[in-house]
Amino acid sequence: MTAYIIRRLLYTIPIIFGVLLLTFVLFNLVGGDISVEIAGKGATQETIDEIREEYGLNKPLFFSWDSQFVNHFKNALTFNFGRARDREPVIDKIKRGVGPSLALTVPMFFGIIIISVSLSLVIAFVRGTVWDISTVVICVAGMSIPYLSFILFGQYFLAYKWGLFPIFFSPDLTTAQYVALPVLIGITAGLGRNLRFFRTVMLDEMQNDYVRTAFAKGLTGRRVLFKHVLKNAMIPIITRVVLAIPFLFLGSLLLERFFGIPGLGYLMVEAIGSRDYFVISAMTYISALLFVVFNLITDICYSLVDPRVSLE
Amino acid sequence: MKFVRVVFTPLEIWLAGPLALLVTTKGDSVQRLAFSVLYALRYTLYALLGAGLIIAGCDGSGPVEEPNEMVLHHVLSTKIKGLDPGNMRDVYSVIVASQIFEPLYQYHFLKRPYELVPLLAEDMPQISDDLLTYTIKIKKGVYFQDDPCFQAGKPRELKAEDFIFSLKRIANIKYLSPNWSIFDNKIVGLDEFRRITKTCKSEADVDYSRQVEGLTTPDDYTLVIKLKKHWPQLGMTLADIATAPVAKEAVDYYGRDIISHPVGTGPFRLNVWRRGSSIELVRNPAFRGELYPSEGEPGDAEAGYLDDAGKPMPFADRVVWTVIEERQPAWLLFLQGKVDATVIPKDSFDEVMGGAGELTPAMKQRNIHLKTFKDPSTYWLGFNMAEPVIGKNKPLRSAISYAIDRAKFIELFFNNRHLVAHGLIPPVMPSYNPEIKEKGYARYDPEKAQELLKEAEKIHGGKLPALKITLPGTNTWYRQYGQFLKRNLNAVGLEVETEYMDRPTYLEKVNNRSVQMFTSGSSARIPDAQDFLEMFYSRYHAPGPNKFNYSNAEFDKLYEKAQVMLDCPEKHRLYRKMELIVLKDCPAAFLNHRVAYVLHHDWYKNYKPHAFAYGLSKYRRINLAKRTAYKKFLKTIK
Repeated sequence: MTAYIIRRLLYTIPIIFGVLLLTFVLFNLVGGDISVEIAGKGATQETIDEIREEYGLNKPLFFSWDSQFVNHFKNALTFNFGRARDREPVIDKIKRGVGPSLALTVPMFFGIIIISVSLSLVIAFVRGTVWDISTVVICVAGMSIPYLSFILFGQYFLAYKWGLFPIFFSPDLTTAQYVALPVLIGITAGLGRNLRFFRTVMLDEMQNDYVRTAFAKGLTGRRVLFKHVLKNAMIPIITRVVLAIPFLFLGSLLLERFFGIPGLGYLMVEAIGSRDYFVISAMTYISALLFVVFNLITDICYSLVDPRVSLE
Repeated sequence: MKFVRVVFTPLEIWLAGPLALLVTTKGDSVQRLAFSVLYALRYTLYALLGAGLIIAGCDGSGPVEEPNEMVLHHVLSTKIKGLDPGNMRDVYSVIVASQIFEPLYQYHFLKRPYELVPLLAEDMPQISDDLLTYTIKIKKGVYFQDDPCFQAGKPRELKAEDFIFSLKRIANIKYLSPNWSIFDNKIVGLDEFRRITKTCKSEADVDYSRQVEGLTTPDDYTLVIKLKKHWPQLGMTLADIATAPVAKEAVDYYGRDIISHPVGTGPFRLNVWRRGSSIELVRNPAFRGELYPSEGEPGDAEAGYLDDAGKPMPFADRVVWTVIEERQPAWLLFLQGKVDATVIPKDSFDEVMGGAGELTPAMKQRNIHLKTFKDPSTYWLGFNMAEPVIGKNKPLRSAISYAIDRAKFIELFFNNRHLVAHGLIPPVMPSYNPEIKEKGYARYDPEKAQELLKEAEKIHGGKLPALKITLPGTNTWYRQYGQFLKRNLNAVGLEVETEYMDRPTYLEKVNNRSVQMFTSGSSARIPDAQDFLEMFYSRYHAPGPNKFNYSNAEFDKLYEKAQVMLDCPEKHRLYRKMELIVLKDCPAAFLNHRVAYVLHHDWYKNYKPHAFAYGLSKYRRINLAKRTAYKKFLKTIK
């Protein structure tokens, strides 16, 4: 397994290089020069040139030891992301945003996983009944409603009309108070899709021969479900769960915007809108790293839960 | 079903799944273990739910509002970028920084037309006979707020040298100030200083002790500015927050982090800045004090704007801005009384406004007040005169202008709130021509447009090719805007393509003169239409302010003449003449002027809209009894 892990870690080098190259090409070859916007209305060419120099935009793109791409690569490897367009260090922005983003996405993530895996087991067990059909209908309805509708509805009724939660972030609220409603909305909105997926996974397993054998041998439903079905359904569950973890870091754009949570989701979208290359580059790089690491963790988990998988 | 009913309660159904996930790989004692730790897992679940909160530092609580504390609650519709007056131009940063920093002059809060009055200056500037030297006396006894950058326990008094430092800083090319264009080629020696800074390695290497001939201080309280040429807008420029004094000690102490450590002389100082979510200012104990104005324009006394005449300001103890970029939460917070004032969201317009421009009974029941004011702004569809198809074809440009139904545009996009732009100078400007509408340049006349297009085809030498409109955004609003323009132009027989892009790409294309038609707009900095007219001066072609690349010798001559004139009727006459030249040549189809509709609660006092001033929090007062009464009222309507 150690050899496998080392080999996989070595594979990350070309992947990260590819991500850095792609980010660089997308934001430097496609799209405009940010120096004109930074310079402001009526700026002279001299000012624009100075800004280009300050941000290193006057250097060659590739093919030089001091090219923009080489610097971009060096900065990424050393985690020196420089300063954003508003002159604040990029790393400070990320450090500040990661807490609120995780405060929102971690409870949402666990809430969705816990509820949907648990319910999917039960629903799979009672498949074909009115409970199963009703759940599927509700799931499909939940999946069909736009995410924004959940937010607008939740904010208007639960917070404004019924006063159960604060409408928006306020300095005098605790984090728990101002993330409660967005977490609830996030769980509700994400439940349909996940519950349907896990129900399908469980049903696939329950239609296998070994389940019939287990029942024929006289095992209880509880034992069959938890001892056998769930264990065999672990591979797709792990794939979905572990690979979702890196995206927790990216936060949730809509929830952050509507509830005033100063997280990374909004930071990223705002950076794309204002072409803040320094922030985009840092966020893409960190996300890519996390994704690669969690991909590896997923593979290791496969071998732990399923003896048929060996990491050679 | 029996399995479910007998074994699990709803909460345990939640918990059994993850429990099984964790233990099924461990052996045969699954069930026993599952049920023995069921209750323990309940707490695990809570711990998981709390994990995010722990990561976030658990407690984001700030100061709780005391019952008798006067706190202003405002909304910022976008994040502010920094609080360094020399290096910002976005309106939201300017709003917040204007409560902390003060320039030499300010606009009178109540009088209209807008009138400059001294703020840090003792009096209005003394101007030499040749109009080239301005001598300004600075108020004595003005202190910067206490800050670690100053010697502990020793208040730092404001000196004339602080103003010079701030201007030199803007001139420092390494500082990359977006404000330099205001001072470019205006003050004797400042351009030379800028050239010298170019040789420095970084912003911090610049020697600010180097003398600039046009900026001198005969004593600590006198500032002398020598100009290269007449600059009648200097007084108004010295009311711009960009010229506010910044202490050199603060710049040296905080370095590049000065953007988040404002050290000013104003009525408030920064308390907490939760970047991206809220910013809170508190009273500056070192503030010298200022009295609420005792004079206004007719009607101000009746409107209650003079109730606080002669009282010391500021009234508020704290000012809190919350960044709310979405309209719904801002609106709901306003209705809950947690925000003092707000704009009317487009989607809630019918809920707020009844017929005849009045508030609905529901709003009146809440004692909500409506204030409207004309914003000094103009928006247009611009034509690139350097582009051969459109630039050399005046009938084509005029046809496009006549083909646009501006009234429909304003109805669809702004709930009829904006005004049709009949010219380029907005109505709030002293040089606005009240008869401009009669000239008919903004008329919606598709028949005339079709006639002009026939002429345009003759000039072009055949059928006109498809035209292209470039818009600086990719969101729904810009796409709808593009669709609207396209539909109007299609209706008169023009083929039109639209392209949407991010702002930097758009600006680069406009500056490279590679667009054909583009949508844009501008707001005036000062109550002088020069900001609008310079956009048509031929020496300022792109990348300068003249993005239309428009040239007209007669216009240039008038512009050069008016540029150096003090504000007088003759200058206004020249401005109007220039406007007519532009309208005749049609380098742009002017579309609309913005009109702001603002709602505020009854407890929010001294809210008189102002088009050019930003440091207004010092005037605002809260009637705490009325605010409390509103909270009680809310309970009755729930």
